[in-house]
Parts: sequence; C-alpha cells; structure tokens
Amino acid sequence: MTIRTARRIVQAASLVFIIAIPVLNRNGIDFITGSFYSLAVGPVWISDPLIALQTILLTLHADAVLLVSLVIPLALAFVLGRAFCGWVCPQNALSEFVDWAVRALRLRRFIPQGRTRLPRYLVLAAVIILTPFAGIPLASLLSAPGIISVQTAKLIYEGTVGVEVGLIGLIVLTEFLVVRRVWCAHVCPIGTFLGMFRTGRTLTVTFASDKEHVCDRCMDCMQACQFGLDPTKNKLSSPCHNCGDCIDACRRTRHVKSPLHYRF
Amino acid sequence: MKKPLRPPGALPERDFLARCLRCGKCAQVCPFQSIRIAGLLDGLEQMGTPFIKPREKPCWLCMKCTAACPSGALDRKVKAKEIVRMGLAKIDNKTCLAWQGTLCRSCYDECPIFNEALVMDAELRPVVNDKKCTGCGICESVCPVDQAAIVVQPGVRS
Repeated sequence: MTIRTARRIVQAASLVFIIAIPVLNRNGIDFITGSFYSLAVGPVWISDPLIALQTILLTLHADAVLLVSLVIPLALAFVLGRAFCGWVCPQNALSEFVDWAVRALRLRRFIPQGRTRLPRYLVLAAVIILTPFAGIPLASLLSAPGIISVQTAKLIYEGTVGVEVGLIGLIVLTEFLVVRRVWCAHVCPIGTFLGMFRTGRTLTVTFASDKEHVCDRCMDCMQACQFGLDPTKNKLSSPCHNCGDCIDACRRTRHVKSPLHYRF
Repeated sequence: MKKPLRPPGALPERDFLARCLRCGKCAQVCPFQSIRIAGLLDGLEQMGTPFIKPREKPCWLCMKCTAACPSGALDRKVKAKEIVRMGLAKIDNKTCLAWQGTLCRSCYDECPIFNEALVMDAELRPVVNDKKCTGCGICESVCPVDQAAIVVQPGVRS
C-alpha cells in the first residue's frame, strides 16, 4: 500500500466523522462530540493548541480541563510534526482536490508557487500579537478545519450555513486561480503553530543517499510535493506536513532503493 | 445582534468572549437545539459563540452544555439548575394579560424554579423574584401575548 492510499483512508475517515458527529449528537448520542476546535471522545478531550493558548493569554487563567485537553495534540505535534495537516485536516483534503482539478483541467495559475517561509510566521505572530487588542482568540476565525466542521454541524442542525464558509471559498478560489496550495503552506496559523513543536526526533521525511539508495536527481519527489518543497533538503523550518507524496513518488522510480523515507 | 443570551454557566461577557474556543460543542450536545452558534454576520467577536433565542427555543436547564465546555467559558461548577443566572426575566405590566385583568398564568405554570422564581401576588399577577430567576426564558417562550410580555434580559448575574 502506498503512503497516499493510507492517507486517503485517514482523510476519508476524518470527513465521515465531521458529518457523523453532529448526526449522532442530534440523535441523542453524545459519546463523541465537538469539532476541529475541540473534540471529546468519551473522557478523552482534545483542543486546538493555538486557540487554547490564546484564551489562556487573554484571561491569564489556565483551566485545568483545557490544559489536559492539550496533552494529546501537543504530544502528536512533538512525535509526528504537522501530520494532522497532511492526514486529518479537511481543508488540506479540499485543497488537494483543488490542486488535482487544476492539473486535470490543465489550468495555469497567475502566480508561480513561492518558496518563502516568512509569511506564515508573520501571520502566526500577528494573530498572537493582535489577540489582546481584539479580546478574542483570533486564530478561531482563521481555523479552516474548525469552520468546516462547525458549519457542517450547522448545516445538519439548521439546514443553512453562515457566511464564514466564504473564507473556505476564498481559499479554494485563490488556490484554483492564483497560487498553488498557498493557505496550508504559507498562511494557516494553526498548522504553523503545530509545526513549531518539531525537534530532531520528530517524524520527518529524510533524505539519506548511500550506495544502496542512490538518488539520481530525477526530482520526481519535488514534482510530487504540493508545497513545492525540495525533499532532498532536510529542514525543520519547512512547512512539510508529512503527507509522504514525495516518498511515494521516489518509490515509484527507485522502488525499495528509495533514498527518501520517514524517520523519527 | 444586541447583547446575546448565553447558555447556563457562562462567564461575564468579556471573559466569556476571551475564553470561548468557538468549538460549538455546547450547541451539539443541547438536546433541544436551544443553543445556536453565532455567525460572521453577528460580528467578528461573536462568530462561533453560542447564544439562545428564548422566544424560539428556551433553555430547559439540562446542564449538558456546561459539562461539555472544554475551556470553562461555561463554568463547569454550575451543575444545579437553581444556581444558573444567565439573565433575568422582566414583565411588561402594560401588556401582560394577568396584569391587565385577564386570567393567565402560563409563565408561572411553566417556570422550572416553580413558585420561587415566578410568584403570584395577592391579585394573581406574576412577579419575578430577582433572587431566584435563572434567566432560562421558558416564561418568554410560553407567553401567549404576540410580543412576549415577559422577556429575559441577557446578562450574567452573580
């Protein structure tokens, strides 16, 4: 099984949960409840670390239950990096679909994909610095997965969606016409924050070329990367979300002798 | 949107806005769909926060939402319905049927803090007891007058 097949299964499960949770809740089953802002599976609670941090900064009060709900997402960020983005986030799935559509239709976007890393750190910094002036956890307004899940619940409960789906529409339109995969790679503060917990031991795509695993510089890996990254260069600061498309691409050409692989 | 009526256990408005994660769990677990989620059109501050429109669907004080809140924006210590203070019912004596001389005790009959939060005076007219009213809005939802003569004023009280 390719990494992508495994990832598609996880992404599909994530989409099923987004719809199933409000349907179950509406029918009185609330063992599992919540959204991508905060989720509860029985006694196991999971909250978005960036939004939680903002509420803590705003109120200078750390709610014990809230802190406990950060253990799992932060542990995952330490161990798996931005894997949430690549494997679970519905916005990423949607953006991947847009990218596929653009290629299928052979469209050309207005601006070539950039390589700069600065914007996403600026967005994250702005979101945190402006928070006390706004008085609300600003990242909640920019959480595409949160908006998608909450609006899906609203659609199921009330039969309508709010104008905030316009943000999702804007992302789709921008990535369709203007620049490839710009939201996840260069804007989303939630994903950027998750990526900041990476250490030398966090799961990363590693390039290790030796006698057995020779890289012939075909650059299929770079072609496969939707963020336009070069997987032969290992960098902790990269927006890589461990989707594994580059490893799949490399294995297609190099088979078992691929110099690209996941490593902790 | 004028000052919204928050679910039970909500912190005072400023703290609530700062503490609420906008996760929507309170609305998801509400068995009556009384809790709704504000949208972007209600303002950036309000977007994603829960509110109740009691005339359409009041709060039956089941207290599931406070237990589900991950951030404490709805205080989990508020477990008993009697201690909820989400707002305060106000009666308009000029439109209230009972105050106008017609026999009506709809609000009095349905008040969950029965005969305490709403009491009947000597002339069988309903009177709100500020010390006991939870602000749930059931009275507002059952008032038979076109423009409810008893309306909950949102705002957390201590």
